[in-house]
Order: sequence, then C-alpha cells, then structure tokens
Amino acid sequence: MDEVLLLSRAQFGLNIGFHILFPTLTIALAWILLYFRIRYAQSGDPAWLATYKLWTKVFALTFAMGVVTGITMSFQFGTNWPGFMLKVGNIAGPLLAYEVLTAFFLEATFLGIMLFGMNRVPGWMHIFASAMVAIGTSLSAFWILALNSWMQTPTGHVVQAGQIIAGDWWQVLFNPSFPYRFTHMLIASGLTAAFVVAGLSAWRLLRAQDDKSARATLRTGLVLAAVLAPAQVIVGDQHGMNTLEHQPAKIAAIEAIWKTEKGVPLVLLAIPDDEKRRNDFAIEIPKGASLLLKHDADAELKGLDAFAPDTAPVAPVFFAFRAMVGIGVLMFIVAWWGVWATRRGMLPPRWMLWTFAGFTFSGWAATECGWIVTEIGRQPWLVTGILRTADAAGGASGAQLGASLTGYVITYAGMFLAYMVVLTHLAGKGTQA
Amino acid sequence: MSLDLPLVFAALMGLAMLLYVVLDGYDLGVGMLMPAADAREQDLMVASIGPFWDANETWLVLGVGILLVAFPAAHGVVLGALYLPVAWMLIGLMLRGVAFEFRMKAEGWHRELWNWLFWFGSFLTSFAQGFMLGRYITGFHPGFGYTLFALLVGASLCGGYVLLGATWLILKTQGVLQGKALGWARWGLAWVALAIALVSLATPFASQSVQLKWFDFPRTLALLLLPLATLAAGWLVWGATGRLKRGEPAPDWVPFAAAVAIFTLAFAGLAYSLFPFVVIDRMTIWEAAAHPSALKFMLVGVVIVLPFLIAYTAFAYRVFRGKASTGLYE
Repeated sequence: MDEVLLLSRAQFGLNIGFHILFPTLTIALAWILLYFRIRYAQSGDPAWLATYKLWTKVFALTFAMGVVTGITMSFQFGTNWPGFMLKVGNIAGPLLAYEVLTAFFLEATFLGIMLFGMNRVPGWMHIFASAMVAIGTSLSAFWILALNSWMQTPTGHVVQAGQIIAGDWWQVLFNPSFPYRFTHMLIASGLTAAFVVAGLSAWRLLRAQDDKSARATLRTGLVLAAVLAPAQVIVGDQHGMNTLEHQPAKIAAIEAIWKTEKGVPLVLLAIPDDEKRRNDFAIEIPKGASLLLKHDADAELKGLDAFAPDTAPVAPVFFAFRAMVGIGVLMFIVAWWGVWATRRGMLPPRWMLWTFAGFTFSGWAATECGWIVTEIGRQPWLVTGILRTADAAGGASGAQLGASLTGYVITYAGMFLAYMVVLTHLAGKGTQA
Repeated sequence: MSLDLPLVFAALMGLAMLLYVVLDGYDLGVGMLMPAADAREQDLMVASIGPFWDANETWLVLGVGILLVAFPAAHGVVLGALYLPVAWMLIGLMLRGVAFEFRMKAEGWHRELWNWLFWFGSFLTSFAQGFMLGRYITGFHPGFGYTLFALLVGASLCGGYVLLGATWLILKTQGVLQGKALGWARWGLAWVALAIALVSLATPFASQSVQLKWFDFPRTLALLLLPLATLAAGWLVWGATGRLKRGEPAPDWVPFAAAVAIFTLAFAGLAYSLFPFVVIDRMTIWEAAAHPSALKFMLVGVVIVLPFLIAYTAFAYRVFRGKASTGLYE
C-alpha cells in the first residue's frame, strides 16, 4: 500500500507539475495575443500582424502541450485516486464537468478559427475568436482553482448518508481561499507570460538588434511585468493571511514554527529537521513572524505541535516558499529595471538583454515553487478535514504504476526537449521567418 | 413526474462517446494513413484536420468526464481495470497532439520524425481504444481467449478509423490525393466488413448476457434491421467510391456520411446489448449513479451550454467547409 501511495503521488506530482507549466503560460498569453491582434486591427501595421502570428505559434504549441497533458490528468483523477471521487465526487465531479462544458470546447473550437481562419472570416470575427480563446482559458482556471480551493478550505457541503454532497453551490465555489488563490494564480500567469514574451524578445534582439517587433514586445513584456509584480506582492500577502486564518498548519510549516509561542521569530533561513522537529543553523528576526502575520510583535502563533500528527513535511514547504519569494523579488527588480532601460525606445545593453533572456522562465520556476508550497503544505489532507491523501490512493498495482510512470517520464522528457528546441528556434528567427 | 437523471446522463454519455468516436475517429484515421502519402499530400492531410482535432478530442474528455461525474462507482471499476491500456492511449494522444504542432515547425529529418510519431500516436490511440472496448464488452474477464478478442476489436477499430479518415479525405481533398483516398476507403471498408463479421460472431461467445439479448425472439427480427442497415450503408460507401473512382459524378460527402452511419449503427447495437448496464453484468446505471444533487447541478449546465456548443461547433465546420488547402497557417 505504501508503495502504491508513493508511486501514485510521484506520478500525479509529475503530471500536474508538468501540466501546470503550459496553462500558466497560455492563460495570460491568450490575452496578450488579443492585445496584439487589436493593435493590428487598429493600426493596420503589418509589424503587429507579424508579431501576432509569431506569438500565435508559441501559443499554439504551448496550448497543445497543455491539452494533451491535461487529458492525462483528467483520467488520473479516477485511475490513481479512486477514493477521491468516491468520497467527494459529488462536488469535484460537477466542477470538472463545468470546466469541460464551458471552457474546453470554447477554447478548442475557437482556437481552430484563430489559428487557421484568418483568411476565412471577417476581421471582427477573428478578434471575437481570439477573445473567446482568452475567455476560455481563464474560465478553465476559474473552475480548477474553485475545486482546488474547495479541497483546501471546504465550505458549503453537507454529509448525507455518509456521502459528501453540496448544500450550497455558491459557497462551494466561492469558498474562503478561492478569491485569493484565483487572483494569485492569474497574476502568476500574467507574470510568467510577461517574462516569456520579454525573455524570448531579448533572445531575438541579441541576434538582430534592429528587429522592431522584438523591441516592441520586449517593452510590452517588461511593462506588464512591472505592473503585475507589485500587485502580486499585495495579493500574495493577503493570500498568506487567508491561509493563516483557514489553514494555520500550512503557515506553521512555511515558517518552520515548531512550537506554539508568543513573540515568534521570523526564520529567514535554516535547515528544518523533520525528525528532530527543530531548525538547524537558523537565521532569525526576533518576533518577526508574530509581527508579520499578526501585526503584533507579542502575538501568539500556533506551531506545528498544535496540529500533530496531521502536519506536512516542513523542509520542502519551507524551502519552496523561500525560493518562490526570492525568485519573485528578483523578477520585480528585473521588471522595473527593464522598464527604465527601455524608456523612450532605448535598446538595453547586451548584458541586460542576456539578463532578460535568463529570466524567460522565471515565472515557471516561481509557480512550481508556489504549487509545491500549497500542495505539500496541505498534507496529509487531500480535502482538508475530510479526506486524507493516503485514503484516496489505490486502483492500480505498484507494477502498473511503475510501468506507466516510466512511460510518462520518457514521453514528457521528449516532449519538453522538443518544446524547448522549437521555442528557441522560433524566438531566434523572430518575425522574419 | 420526476426526471430519470441516471438515464438522461447515460444518454448524454452515449452521445458524447459516439460523437468522439466519429469525430476523433476521422482525424485518427487520417493520422494512420500518413505513411501511405507523399510529403505534399501529408501536409494537405494534416491541414484538413488541423482546425478540428482539438475540439474533437474534447468529446473524449466530456464522455469520460460524464462517466467519472455521473457514474463514479463505474468509473473506478472501468478505468481501474483498464489502467494500462488507458496509459498507452494517453501516451498515444500526447504524441500525436504535439506532433501536429512540431511537424509544422520542423524541417528535414526532424519533420520526418514527427510525421512518424504522428502516425504512431494515432495508431497507438486507436488500437488502445479498440482493445479497451473489447475488454469492456467482455466484463474485463481474464484469460487468453478474452485477450485475443480484445486484440481483435483493437484491430477492428483501427480499420473503422481508417475508413472514416479515408472518406473524410474524399470529402476534403481533390485530384491525386482524393484518388488515393478512394482506394484507402475501399480497403478500409473491406477491413471493417470483415471485422464486424468476426466481432459479431465472437461476441455472443464472449458474453453470455449479450447472447441472451440478441437471440430473444421475436425481438431478434427487429434487431435484424441493424445489420441490414449497416450492410446498406457499406454498400453506399462501395458504390459511391466506385463511381468517383471511374470519374462518374457522385457527391463527395456520401462515403463519409455512410461511414458515419456504419459507426452509428454499430454504436446503437452496442448500446442495445449493454443497456442498462454500465459495467456489464455487474452494475446498472442506477446503481452507479452519483447523488441527485450533483446530477441536477450538472444538468443545468448541460442544458444551458449544449446549444451554444453545438452552434459554434457547426459554425467552425462552416468556416472550414470545402476542400482543404495548405498555407492557412505559417
């Protein structure tokens, strides 16, 4: 059983960690494309059209990666976690079904028109199709984050004859953590796409300084990132406060607070030891955590001891959170610095272009860290207070899981390599292709 | 009077699965026919399915989604028993899905590699789906005979998809490629005829409850309409492709429509044989159904969304009507 649980988690973690890369990029990129498309419609400038077409290729590629890895996930809910659907299927099921009905068909169908129909439909219809794709990807995020948030902070359900059913769908959807998580994720997507656009444009400019389109998109990406980065700081903080209220055990793991105390120090860096339940080599700010989380230096904070034995492994959550914040801070600095360096149509020096290119996938890195924090941080619960991860596993044998896991690893590695090669190739050629 | 929600969702699931098999069937079939065409024809073939494949695949997600959501107890049994073929199908779907994009952007041997992976992914998906169908009809019984039966259904479904793909190409292409597609369609039809005959002969032996349903006089006489209509549809494909091959005037949509009819009839036969079971001999749709609160909430969504979905799907097919051409993209 342990082996099945471990392999089920490894496989699902691999799939979801791989899948999330692509929607994170496409949710916001769809809106950026709509912006390019409207700029072309307004100006009639072929440079905007070329820009739109180039980024449409990046979008189509990323979208396809998201679709195929997403289909895999939709099967694995059932194959790897039969206990999940058995216990909370009456809530999770309809939300997933609504995603398919309202989002998947919309984006898939209009994507066809967006990619292949430019010469077949009037301009306004093509813009409409691009808008539908953007709305579809955001709707998809809405349903998935509603479900994920409900699993983290369940409300609106009732227990009837041993089954969990919805009592109030509105409360299920708009559960306490949903508004924060949804906004946090949408901004994360915006930042990810902004840095990909800026980074790949910088990559192009390193090869062809006079590429007008790449200069314009570099600026677009940097400005968008500079606007969204401070917004993310505020939303992230609010999301943290919300977590403190509804999932205090997760905050205790994030901050590596082992014991319930007053005037808790803020651990900046340390090596949390999950066995001895203490921090080694800690660098702390006295009373910092109480001040940050309760806005009162002497306030009491619940430590992991208050939730034992239902606590998450501390080290991965602790480190992933610090990595996320660290990457976020760097992205903030790079974005603002970039906006300054590209003012009035200026071209930044080569070393700076290299920096932007180096930050192309910084959003992915931060997003992965964020999901590790929130998903490992909620363990051992799959649905907080209702269903443990261990009780949901099963369905397949260790051998089956091992064989399919091997297949997935090989397939994903190949797909990712090809994706990167094509992306680099497209960015290198720019709109001159 | 209250609505029989499990029955409604069983019908919806059946509709989604039928639409999936027909729609993704033609683009999987086109994928399997790739090695038979030259490089320029391959571009045309891919262009003919490019705007549609993604939405086509979404019907699978909806069909399995309804199984998961409306019949959670059956979903666990079915997908648990089919764990490995599902994994192979998913890998196949992933390969062909990304191959679409990658082959358009690749050159030289890279392009050849993606063409090959596109073919392989299409084949793996089709075969795995047929294999799963075979396991499903026989109630997942272990044993050599049952495995052999599932392999037979796997090969049969590949033939069916080739028929759909070839007739789709007759509709969407012209000239030399259409001429080739006419030949492929006739091969596909022969393959399907043989497969339907073999599977129909084997099924009563493989499943007792199907046997009882089929040989239940006098209903058997009414049931005979299904094979007779299938025969007529097959004859239509043969006749229309023959006329087109000889250069005689014939509408180019008839072979595809008749191929769709063959699939629909086979599906109706299957639905009749299985009903009211969702897992044969083990679980009826009412036993497997989710809580009415969940079903009602979903039904609201379905009723509101479905008309829009049908409308914009129809619109997309209208936009891309007529013969396919390359150069719409790039």
